[in-house]
Amino acid sequence: MTELIELDIEEHGEVVVAHLKGELDIAGASGLGDSINDAVPTSARGLVVDCSNLDFIDSSGIAMLFGLARRLGSRRQELRVVAREGKPVARVLQIVEFDRAAPIHETLDEALAQTN
Amino acid sequence: MRELPELFAVGVKARSLGYLFVAGASLGVLTLILPHDEGVRELQLYVLAALAVAIAALVYVQAERVSEWQLHLVLAAGTTILSFANYYAGESTLYPLLYTWTALYAFYFFSLRLALAHMSYIGVAYAVVLAIQDPTSPAIRWLLAVGTPLIAGLLISRMLDRLRAEQLQTAEGARELRQSEARTRIVLDNSPDAFVTLDRDGIIRSWNVAAERMFGWPASEAIGKPYRALVTPPELRDRHDERRSALVENDDPLATEHFEVELLRRDGSRFPAEATVSKVDVRGEILLSGFIRDISDSRRRQEEREALMREQAARAEAERVAELVSGMQLLVDAALAHRTLDDILSDLVVRVRGVLQADAASIHLVEEGRLVLRAASDDDPAAGPFTGEEFAGRVVEAREPLFDTGPGEASSLIGVPLLAEGAITGVLVVCLAAPRHFASDDINVLRLAADRVALAIDHARVYEREHRIAETLQRSLLPERLPRLPGLDVAARYLPAAAEAEVGGDWYDVLSVPGGGVGLVMGDVAGKGLAAASMVGRLRSALRAYALEGHAPARVLEQLNRLIWTEADESQMATLIYVIVDPAEGQVRWVNAGHPPPLLVDGQQPPHYLEGGSSVPLGVLPFPDFEEVTVPMDPGNTVVLYTDGLVERPGEHIDAGMGRLVAVLRDAPTEPDQLCDHVLRALVPDGGAPDDVALLTLRTVPMGDRFRVDFPATPEALSSMRSLLRRWLRHVGAGEQEIAEVVTACGEAATNAIEHAGAGGETPFEVGGQLSGRDMQITIRDNGAWRAPREGDQGRGLSLMRALMDTVEVTPTPEGTTVRLERTLEP
Repeated sequence: MTELIELDIEEHGEVVVAHLKGELDIAGASGLGDSINDAVPTSARGLVVDCSNLDFIDSSGIAMLFGLARRLGSRRQELRVVAREGKPVARVLQIVEFDRAAPIHETLDEALAQTN
Repeated sequence: MRELPELFAVGVKARSLGYLFVAGASLGVLTLILPHDEGVRELQLYVLAALAVAIAALVYVQAERVSEWQLHLVLAAGTTILSFANYYAGESTLYPLLYTWTALYAFYFFSLRLALAHMSYIGVAYAVVLAIQDPTSPAIRWLLAVGTPLIAGLLISRMLDRLRAEQLQTAEGARELRQSEARTRIVLDNSPDAFVTLDRDGIIRSWNVAAERMFGWPASEAIGKPYRALVTPPELRDRHDERRSALVENDDPLATEHFEVELLRRDGSRFPAEATVSKVDVRGEILLSGFIRDISDSRRRQEEREALMREQAARAEAERVAELVSGMQLLVDAALAHRTLDDILSDLVVRVRGVLQADAASIHLVEEGRLVLRAASDDDPAAGPFTGEEFAGRVVEAREPLFDTGPGEASSLIGVPLLAEGAITGVLVVCLAAPRHFASDDINVLRLAADRVALAIDHARVYEREHRIAETLQRSLLPERLPRLPGLDVAARYLPAAAEAEVGGDWYDVLSVPGGGVGLVMGDVAGKGLAAASMVGRLRSALRAYALEGHAPARVLEQLNRLIWTEADESQMATLIYVIVDPAEGQVRWVNAGHPPPLLVDGQQPPHYLEGGSSVPLGVLPFPDFEEVTVPMDPGNTVVLYTDGLVERPGEHIDAGMGRLVAVLRDAPTEPDQLCDHVLRALVPDGGAPDDVALLTLRTVPMGDRFRVDFPATPEALSSMRSLLRRWLRHVGAGEQEIAEVVTACGEAATNAIEHAGAGGETPFEVGGQLSGRDMQITIRDNGAWRAPREGDQGRGLSLMRALMDTVEVTPTPEGTTVRLERTLEP
């Protein structure tokens, strides 16, 4: 069936960047969290989930992000999320007060700069 | 009264008239030259003389061409000119005399009746002149001038009439004489019959040309010799003498005898002859005249006629055999013209009966070791019910043709085994109501027929098997059930051709494509049967694979083209149209590889073809350019795809059929299933279309202020639901921010509904929306059991809904759960 969500993993030095593209709902969220988690080696300083090109996220997606924050935190790795203000994803993250779990950045560069 | 012959030719009359005019003119001129009265008007007379000479010249030159009535006109003109001359000449006594010339001419050359008419005109003309010129004593002068020519003319006329009558008599006499002589000569000389006259002693008295030719004796040698010695064969001479004396002594003066006899030619050869001899009494002398006809020619002709009749009979026989042979061909053709073996067999028995001129025929086939009657021609009522079953069994045992008496008193049966590759596959039985003698030729013909029937049956069986496989294969390639697509209604029809024995290469497909759209495919692989069906199978799976990988339509068609170009044989090609309907974006885009264009029905303007984006069929060029075209498509619009079988009719341009389709769609219902039925009812003839017909329609659900759509309870349905909601929200004028928030809230409710339905996802959930003013309400209803949201991850769904909507109301019941979401949209 149709793949709604695309995942693209990139390494910036000691930071892993996960680009998400498309729509993230329960159909795509299951397993996605594991995929991203597995892509982050223990040696990495942290993970940036780039949601700039994510058009939709629902509670399953949010749950996946909370899960990542938990797992990374347990390994003392940082999680940062990029979501542009005013976009649907940023609005949802804001409603669920995701910034209490991990910092939210306007741009990828800002998130990478802060990772150090 | 008998018409008298003309004495003079018209040319003679005309020239004479010319002389008359010249003579008159000369006389007039002469009077002017000689001393004359003062009162004479010279100029006018010269002019008249010149006119007369001119007319004379004209008549003379045209003498052979003028008609009788033109001569009358000229003569009357002469009279008129003379009257004017008379007038201008005054007292002259010469001119009145000239009337006499004119009158005598008329009496001499014209009939009495017409001459008198001219005479009357002369009298009137002169009377007028006199009345003007000399009112004192006109009567005497008139009588002198007119009376003289009248009397003289009458005398001439009478004299001439006698002359004419005499001439007539001589002419006729001479002609009759000539004709009579000629007739006699012609009859006697050119008659194919010899004409011979004998005296009472049998001495030849006359001998015509035909007699010379017939016997070879010239008249000079024949005349004077005894007939019997010259031409009668020795053994018949006594018979000749008997006949002759019998005729001579017959009391009847006109006694005639007619007989056939053999005669001798000069060279000694004999010939059959027919003679008619009559007794003639010429001034007391008895003569026998006879016509003799050589009948050896007519004997030969008779023989030729008989030979011709024999030949015609032989030819008729040959033609009958030729007809039989072409009838045999019909037996083979039957196998190609029908769909099923039963059809072929029932056709075959009728044809066999016709070809062999039998009264009934039946075909029995060996099936699973038993002989089964498969087809019988209509029973001949006289022969009684006829199947010949028991007889057919004996033929199978004998393995060769058998004869027997038939069911009727006088009928007979022949049975011939049907052999295919040495095995008996059945028996052909033929019944004849009237007993007929069977020649070995008849058996051969029957054997020939049996061979053809066996071949046809064998062919049909192989064919039927292949057809079944191809049909099964093709059916398996068409979607068994169209996907239920939320917010979209799809319907499709496939009709195999009515008379077509082979399965065609028409196919269609419906698939969801990445990004929320729906792909519609309609294709037509050239060719028929198994090869076409397997090509359809490969195209179908390739297209699905490429489309689901998310390739753009043009790219998908390039891949398919490469597949056909590189893998299929050279003759393979296919038309194909690939349409993607994207309801969320409100557009339809397509790529067309040589297929008839699809139609868009939008209810606003007449249904119209989606032209453009058309390229060559697949398999024609190695690297064709496929162009993608996009047009807007509003909710409630319908896209119609079809194959050419729907619009093409033999002997008609495809434009006519395409025009018909537009006209039919104009009045068609909008619901796709009903639309399909309507179109097929209107466009497919009662007996079925001449070619396969495939039809595929898709309608985006019309959206007003309210909608209601069922979705399958699977995670995959969420994306469709979001597309639909976005479309509706856009339709009712929600802002982008509002749309994103409402869609998120509804997504949470729908996710719950899917979880309630359990793993199976069998029962669908329903999404409805309505708007009154700016107050929007969305209801999501499922049929599962409500589960209290677990605190934690999943519990966020409810809080998201609450955060995004003005009101969230969850109503759990044993039958299912209803979530009502309300929000007032910004104006």
